[in-house]
Amino acid sequence: MPSPIPAAQKTLLIVEDEILPAMALRDELQDAGYVVMDLTKRHGEAIGAAKDCKPDLALVNIKLQGQDTGIDIARDLKAMGIPVVFISGQVSRAQTARTDAIASFPKPYSTKQMAAAVGYLLARLAGDTSLERPDGLEVFEDELEASAAAAV
Amino acid sequence: MPTSTPTPVEAGALDLARAIVTSSPVPLLLLDGDLCIVAASASFSEAFSVDTKSAPGQPLASLGGGGEWGLPKIRSLLTATLSGAADIKAYECELVRAGQPTRCLVLSAQRVAYLDLAHTRVLLAVADITEARANELLKDEAQRRNLVLLQEVRHRVANSLQIIASVLLQNARKTTSEETRGHLTDAHQRVMSVATLERQLSGSGEQDVELQAYLTTLCESISASMIQDPKHLVLSVTGSRGEVPAVVSISLGLIATELIINALKHAFVDGRPGAIKVSWTSEGSNWTMSVTDNGVGMPRAAGARAGLGTSIVEALAKQLGAAINVSSAAPGTCVAITHPAIRLVSRPEQPSDFSVVERPAA
Repeated sequence: MPSPIPAAQKTLLIVEDEILPAMALRDELQDAGYVVMDLTKRHGEAIGAAKDCKPDLALVNIKLQGQDTGIDIARDLKAMGIPVVFISGQVSRAQTARTDAIASFPKPYSTKQMAAAVGYLLARLAGDTSLERPDGLEVFEDELEASAAAAV
Repeated sequence: MPTSTPTPVEAGALDLARAIVTSSPVPLLLLDGDLCIVAASASFSEAFSVDTKSAPGQPLASLGGGGEWGLPKIRSLLTATLSGAADIKAYECELVRAGQPTRCLVLSAQRVAYLDLAHTRVLLAVADITEARANELLKDEAQRRNLVLLQEVRHRVANSLQIIASVLLQNARKTTSEETRGHLTDAHQRVMSVATLERQLSGSGEQDVELQAYLTTLCESISASMIQDPKHLVLSVTGSRGEVPAVVSISLGLIATELIINALKHAFVDGRPGAIKVSWTSEGSNWTMSVTDNGVGMPRAAGARAGLGTSIVEALAKQLGAAINVSSAAPGTCVAITHPAIRLVSRPEQPSDFSVVERPAA
């Protein structure tokens, strides 16, 4: 997996209610040079945090505790112009919500795979198509291209 | 109705037939050529709440009083059978009666000719399958619900394993000892190999696993976590399609994980580029999984590589009843795990890298 080269300190938001995988993911992404916002697991928290400091990409788990679902959060983040990648074992649900996110990376993921996926998606959002798509990452091309066009 | 007087032989046969029909535990009717009742079993009377005592001599259509047995479908079935034009073993129809629930019936009609063709009769067996049908539906529903539960459980198992894997990984990051970090990273990978399988199972609902797909996902995960530059060190999967039971694939996944970790640690010591190939071939219940590297090759001294990984591979192979064969791949090493469930005597020589493996003593 090519190590992603984060351009100018990109900021990431992680919405995941399993704290340990979330921490492992945060540490890996920080090591890769990204700024990772405080971990969130609820709808309100995530949207509030995203308003305060517009992340470049949000990593959202679909199944969250309580009434929240990652799909609702993704919809709201999309409305704010923040691209979302689903990080969920619920692959079929991710696919039915393919208009709300730019990609899906199924669990169980290794954190290195996820870091590579984040690098790839940020590059694509910046219009850079030179990187190879990491194994396991499913890209929702229509949404990704729409987000990339909006970012430019 | 034929008017000729039956011979004593015919009369005797008819009496016997009446007695058999009347005592049949399966609802049974014996009808004459005009579809009038000759005999009806007590079980018929009980199953369809009709009085069969006074039935003999009555037309079938008058049974039950509501004309429910006079359906054109039943009449044409019987007429066709009587004429010998049809031989119907199971004819499904619905019995609709006023004020009672509709029953689902299976009719089988058999033409009975004895000596004189003028006395052709038809035997009609009636099975009520309404309950069996309902039970089948219930069973299907229960089965579907079980499948949903099973998938949910597997989903949760995969999530739990991912949590454990995360803890091990965090542990590896925080430790200052290079050796400990290595052990923890290996442990993380072992957990991930089982998590990957559970995830694959949670999506399919099947008990069997398409092994090559699993090995491919597994190798993607290993490659991402353990190989710095996947262009420098290529990990690939080849082989045939084929399914194995879930329990077998867990073992095979763990064996592959160990062999790959082993090759990564020992085969490319001086930072040389290379490739590790995982291969899976199966033929019926015979299969071989091999991991081949093109690294530095095996050390001469036996047991030089013995470690946790080796003992895991040996234990799991033994559990599977499979043999381990380590050979030189010139350059590099090939480790093949072979399960010869059935020995094929006249099996043609396979174009494989590894030599024939002896079946282990049980």
